[in-house]
Amino acid sequence: MAKAFYLKLAVANIKRSREIYIPHFLATAIISGVFFLICGLVSSDGLTNLPSGVTAQTIFSAGIFLFAVFSVIFMLYINGFLMKRRKREFGLYGVLGLSKRHIGRMLVWENVLVLGLGVVCGIAAALIFGKLLFLLLLRAIHTAPNSEFIIGPEAYLMTLGLFVLVFVVTSVINLVRVHISNPIQLLYSEKKGDKDSRFIVPRAVVGIICLGVAYFFALTIDIPATAIGVFLLLAVLVIIATNALFVAGSIVVLRLLRKRKKLYYKPKNFIAISGMFQRMKQNASGLAVICILSTMLIITVATTTSLYLGQEEQLRASYPFDVEIWLYPDADQEISSQTLVAIDRDLAEAAAGCGASLSADLEGKSGPAAEEIANGSTYDYELLEHSVVRMNMVLMFDIEGSDEAYQEFLEQIPDVMTPHGISFSYSDIESIRVDAYAFSGGLLFLGVFFGILFLVITILVIYFKQITEGYEDKERFAILQKVGMNDTQVKETINRQILWVFFLPLLVAVCHTVAASKIICVMLQGFELYNSTLVLGCIGITCAIFAVIYLIVFRLTAKVYYRIVKW
Amino acid sequence: MVQELLRCENIKKVYHTKLGLQSYTALNDVNFSLAAGEFVAVMGPSGSGKTTLLNILASLDQPTSGNVLLEGQNFRDIPEKDLAQFRRDNLGFVFQDFNLLDTFSLKDNILLPLVLSQTPVKEMERRLQPVAAMLHIEDLLTKYPYEVSGGEKQRAAVARAVITEPKIILADEPTGALDSKSSTNLLQIFRALNESGKTILMVTHSSMAASYAKRVLFIKDGAIYSQIYRGEEDNHAFFERIVNNITVLSNGGVDIG
Repeated sequence: MAKAFYLKLAVANIKRSREIYIPHFLATAIISGVFFLICGLVSSDGLTNLPSGVTAQTIFSAGIFLFAVFSVIFMLYINGFLMKRRKREFGLYGVLGLSKRHIGRMLVWENVLVLGLGVVCGIAAALIFGKLLFLLLLRAIHTAPNSEFIIGPEAYLMTLGLFVLVFVVTSVINLVRVHISNPIQLLYSEKKGDKDSRFIVPRAVVGIICLGVAYFFALTIDIPATAIGVFLLLAVLVIIATNALFVAGSIVVLRLLRKRKKLYYKPKNFIAISGMFQRMKQNASGLAVICILSTMLIITVATTTSLYLGQEEQLRASYPFDVEIWLYPDADQEISSQTLVAIDRDLAEAAAGCGASLSADLEGKSGPAAEEIANGSTYDYELLEHSVVRMNMVLMFDIEGSDEAYQEFLEQIPDVMTPHGISFSYSDIESIRVDAYAFSGGLLFLGVFFGILFLVITILVIYFKQITEGYEDKERFAILQKVGMNDTQVKETINRQILWVFFLPLLVAVCHTVAASKIICVMLQGFELYNSTLVLGCIGITCAIFAVIYLIVFRLTAKVYYRIVKW
Repeated sequence: MVQELLRCENIKKVYHTKLGLQSYTALNDVNFSLAAGEFVAVMGPSGSGKTTLLNILASLDQPTSGNVLLEGQNFRDIPEKDLAQFRRDNLGFVFQDFNLLDTFSLKDNILLPLVLSQTPVKEMERRLQPVAAMLHIEDLLTKYPYEVSGGEKQRAAVARAVITEPKIILADEPTGALDSKSSTNLLQIFRALNESGKTILMVTHSSMAASYAKRVLFIKDGAIYSQIYRGEEDNHAFFERIVNNITVLSNGGVDIG
C-alpha cells in the first residue's frame, strides 16, 4: 500500500511538472540511444570486418569514454536544475508532515520512472534508427563489404551500466540534499539573493591572459607537429579563459557600464544591465558551457569534414602516382640504367598484357611530392621510356584502363619484379584509399556523431536555461509593470535581454573558431591536408549551419520562455 | 473648501468565469471622493473587495461600470498605451510584499520610476537626497533588497513611491509583512508624509494601521458600509472607535450605533 502511494505521488509530480520533466526524459532517451548505438557499433563484429575497422574501433572506443563522462555530467546538471526548482515543494511536504525518508522515497521513485522510461525509449529508438545509421556509416567509410547490423549484449550492458551509475549518483545527491536541509530553509531557499562573487577582477585578468596566450599561439604556430602537440593545451586554456571571462569578465564590464551614469540611467539600459548582472551571476558558467560545447562542435565537425573531403587530395599529395615501387638494392648492389630500362619495359608489357597502359603525366598533379618531382630538387629524378618516373630508388606510374585490368596488373607486379633480383615493395593507391577512407570516414562519422551529441546537449542546456530564467523573470516583469512600465517596454526589454544572453555564447564560439582556424589548418597539414581553402570553407559552412540551428532552437525555446513570463 | 482630488462614481466590478456562466460581483456601486491632503484607510474583511478597489484606483484594472476621476480626468479617457505613463506620473504604490527588484540596489529601485520617465541623472540625484533622508535609508542605498530587513525594504518601497511626487500614494496592506515595530515606524512615516501634504489611500486589515489615518472607510460585500473621521481624537481613541465599528461590521449591521 505505502509503496504504491509513493509511486503515485511520483507519477503525479512528474505529470505536474511536465514542462521540465519532458526535456529530462528526452535528454535521457537521446543520450542513452546514442550511447547504446556507439557501444553497439564498437563491439559489433560488422565493424571489425571493415578494412581498417580496428582503427575506426579504437577511435570510437576513445569516443565512448568521453561520451560517458559528458553524459554523466549533463545528467547531473539536469538533476541539479530540477532539484533547485523543487526545493520549495519539498519544504512544503516537510511542513505538511512528510518525513525526509518519505520525500526521499518519492524522489527515488521519480528518478526510477524518468530514467527508466528514458532509457527504454532511447534503446528502442536506437534499434529502429540504428540500422539506418549503420548503413550511413558504411557509406561514410566509402566501402560496402558484407558488414551487418548486429548489436551485441555488451551495448545493452554498457548503456544500462551508465544509467545505473547516473541513477545512483543523482539519487544519492538528492537524498543527501533533502537530508541536510530543514523544511523552512527549503521553503525560502529560492528567494535567497546572490552575493557578489569574490576575486572578480583577478579572475577576469586571468581569463584575458589565458585567452591572449591561447590566441597568440593559435595564430603564430606554423609547424604541424608543434600544432598537434599543443592544441589540447591551448583548448584547455581557452576553456579556462571562457569560463573566467563569462563569470568574471562580464561582471567587470557590467560594473563599468553601471558606473557611467548617463548611460546606465536610460530606461532600456537600466533594466537590461541590471538583468544581465543577475543572469551573469547565476548562469555565467552555464553560458560558458554552451559556448565551449558550441566551439567543440564546430571544430570537431569542421575538422572531420575537411579531412574526409580532403581525403582524395591528401592521398594524391602523398601518392602522386597510382603505383609506387620501392627498390631496396643491397649495399654492394649497383642498379644499372639497363636494369631500369628492363624493368620499365617489362612493366609496360605486363600492363599491355592486362589491357592497361602506363602513364606518367605530371600535369595536374599537386602536393609536395609532385612538386619535388617536377622541380627535380635534390632528388635524382628521371622519366623512363615507358612512362615510368624514377625518383631516387622509387618507381612511380599511373595506370590507365578498366578496374579489372588495374587489379590484374597489380597482381602481376611481383612476377615482373622478382626476376630482376632486387628487393622491392610496392603500394597502390586503391588499397591505400580504402584504408584511408576507413580512417577518415570513421573520423567523420565520429565527428558528426559527437556533433549531434554536443548539439543535443547545447539545445537542452539552452532549453533548461530559458525555463529557469522564465520563472525568475516572471516576478521581475510583474513588478516592473506595477511600477509603471508598459507592455511594449517590457517586451522590448525581454527581447534585448534574451538576445544578449543567448547570442553571446554563439558570438564567442565563432570568435574562438576564427582564432583556431589557423592552427587547425596547420594541424591538418600534419595529416597531409594542404588545402587551406577547403578547411576554411568547412569551418565557415559549419559555423553557418550551426548558427542557423542555434537560431531555430533559440526561437523555439524563446516561445516557452514567453509563455512562462506572460502574466 | 478643500480641493477634490479623486472621485469614484458608482464603481461596479463583476468577474465572470471563463464561459460567462457564473459571475461574481466584487464591487457593487462604490462612491466616495478623496480631497487633496487626506490620509484615508480602507478597511474590510477578506473578500470584501478592498484589493479590487485598489487595483481599479491604480488603473491596473478596469471597473465593469462607473468612473474613476483623478483631478477631473476620467481613467476611461486615457488610452491603453498611455496608462503606464499615467500611473508613473500620478500614482505612487506601496505593496504588502514590497515588490523591490533583487537585481537593483535600493538606490536603483528607488530611481526606477524616474529612469522610466527618462529623468536626467542630476535631477534624479537631487530628488533622491531628501527622500532618502526623510525615510532614514541614506546609509542603505548601495545595499541590495536581500541584504536589508523588511522594514527597511518597505521604506525603500515608500521612497520609490514618493520620489515621482505623485498626486496620490496608494498603499496595499503596507504593514502586512512587517513586525509591530517596523509597522509603527512605517505608519509614522506615512503620517509625516501626509503632514507634508501628501495624499494617501491605504488598504489595510489592521485597526492599528488604520488608526493613523484621518478617515477610515469600511467596505463590506462590495460596497462602502460606513466611514468615520478621526477629528481631534488621538490614536488610541480613534483605534477604539475603529474596533467598535468593525464589531458592528462583522455583526452584519444589525446593531447600528
